[in-house]
Amino acid sequence: MGGTHTIEQTAGVTPGTWENGALIRVRELSRIYYQGEIEVHALRGTDLDIGEGEFTALAGPSGSGKTTLLNVIGALDRPTSGRVEVAGRDITGLDKGQAAEFRLNTVGFIFQAYNLVPVLSAYENAEFTLLLRGMSATERRALVEPLMERVGLVDMMHRKPHELSGGQQQRAAIVRALATSPRIVLADEPTANLDSETSGSLLDLMLELNAELGTTFVFSTHDPAVIERARRLVELLDGRVHRDSVSAVA
Amino acid sequence: MFWKMAWRNLWRHRGRTLIMTSAVALAYAFLLLAMGMNDYAYYRMLDEAARAAGGDVLVHGDGYWDSRATDLVIPDGVEVLAAAERVPGVAVAIPRVLTHGLVSTSADSRPIMLQGIRPELESHMQDHSRHITRGDFLRDRPRDGIVLGARLANRLEVDIGDRVVLTGTRPDGEMTRALFHLTGILETGTRELDEMLGFTTLEAAQRALEMGPAITQVGLLAEQGVTADSLAAAVVLALGGGHGLEVLTWADAVPELIAMIEMDEAMDSIYMGLIFLVVLFSITNTFLMAVMERVREFGLLNALGLDHRRIGRLMLSETVLMTAVAMAAGFALGLIGHFAVSRWGISIAAFAGDEIEMGGIDMSDLVIHSLIVPTKWVVASALVAGATVASALYPAWRATRLAPAEAMRFYE
Repeated sequence: MGGTHTIEQTAGVTPGTWENGALIRVRELSRIYYQGEIEVHALRGTDLDIGEGEFTALAGPSGSGKTTLLNVIGALDRPTSGRVEVAGRDITGLDKGQAAEFRLNTVGFIFQAYNLVPVLSAYENAEFTLLLRGMSATERRALVEPLMERVGLVDMMHRKPHELSGGQQQRAAIVRALATSPRIVLADEPTANLDSETSGSLLDLMLELNAELGTTFVFSTHDPAVIERARRLVELLDGRVHRDSVSAVA
Repeated sequence: MFWKMAWRNLWRHRGRTLIMTSAVALAYAFLLLAMGMNDYAYYRMLDEAARAAGGDVLVHGDGYWDSRATDLVIPDGVEVLAAAERVPGVAVAIPRVLTHGLVSTSADSRPIMLQGIRPELESHMQDHSRHITRGDFLRDRPRDGIVLGARLANRLEVDIGDRVVLTGTRPDGEMTRALFHLTGILETGTRELDEMLGFTTLEAAQRALEMGPAITQVGLLAEQGVTADSLAAAVVLALGGGHGLEVLTWADAVPELIAMIEMDEAMDSIYMGLIFLVVLFSITNTFLMAVMERVREFGLLNALGLDHRRIGRLMLSETVLMTAVAMAAGFALGLIGHFAVSRWGISIAAFAGDEIEMGGIDMSDLVIHSLIVPTKWVVASALVAGATVASALYPAWRATRLAPAEAMRFYE
């Protein structure tokens, strides 16, 4: 196991090395929520570039804007102002149908909890996005079964979510997120409800898949295990990028 | 997968789904059975009405039916009867003399509604002899025998074999009197009829009222499958346009009964509609509850790429499946009810007492069975299906309005 060293970057405009050919490009992004009469500034002019194949963690205290940033990148939410480009496509102006189509074809999601559709088995959950893409049962099986085997769920793939442990549910979610071969996997605190051992093995699995498939992973997290394994750590504070650092594996 | 998901979602809360399904099934079964029983009652009422009116088609002197004037007769009764008998589609042609008059004994005088009939022909329409409680129905003394309602005979203080005097009006407007002998007493079960009704033979009535060959009415019974309207048209044609005569269908003759049935049907529709409205509101409410419980799930589905249109479709699919299950069960229940009521019947007299009159027709012996009118069942089923599915439109619309990020954030 090699040691790591960290390249630190003061928050602000993302370094040029990442800007060139960035898969995700975030510019001057702000998002204001209203809780009754109160304005909540979740993002305040955030800039960020993420390159293809990166394994990036968004860290920061609660309310720092991690989940909001992830939601806007995944077209789950629309910013108040600013611009987000994913693979050269401006996604900030997408309507509901276009956003759903974008998510289906470009992004895989892993959420903190309630990741799986309760009435579907692990296998059916995993093949769900492929089904939405109109693939045949044979095509779906060819894509899902190897991934199920890869995450160690082959023997449990016909179980319903309530018959699986938290870690197994997250593994099924990983298969679903990767089955469509998306360019990006967005994971919102994927290990928050797992014990440290399960978290560690899940992250190792995602790291391996990141290396094997070249899929870009972006996490929001508080979890030291995630932060420790992230190749790049973007720390958010009060809706802005506070620190951006890269861990180079020696 | 879509239908599979919808089906499994439906049974996530078995108890709730069973209650909703049962509500629709029972309401639908009740609707079908109520329709079957109503349609049978209407069929019987119309049948009884046709019989009570005197036939499917009636021929009178022009203007008789409205005025009941004794001078409005069919003067050449024999020819008109013969012509009517020859009309294709006529099963039986029944001549009658109908008059109002006064019947007297030494004890009292009472108004009478007298029918001069041919008993052997009347039996095709109505078997009056089944109401006879004493004596016989015009078998003895065909030339001067009379049968009176029980209450009328009682008031006149007469018994079988006693004499009564009829005072009536001849077709030329002059009063006339004739002597009859009481040969039978009948009890129809309807107070008004039993107080006024009397029967004698056609010939005896003609002689008593000095009518010659004239008659008041020819009642025509249609052959199976021949409608009253088409028969009436054929009769008008056969009678050379029917100058000096009026040709009515039984429905023209008892418009108040038709109006009553139409009103009853309308009331039933409103009643059933209200029952269904209550059921549908409860379904809408339950589906809405289900949507609110599943906000996060809809958010997840939307996040995964299931667009809002398909989320709405998923909700509607669940309703379609529930409706299909409920209606299959309701149809089976409705059919079982239909067969049971058809087999055993429900006696109206048991609920409403002995004297039941609807639109002037005696219905005291009505035993309700059930009658399937296929078009009505199909229309009612389509309405139930449409309304039940429509009840989920608002909840489905609500499901499509959920923003995925908010759904995922606020409903954890």
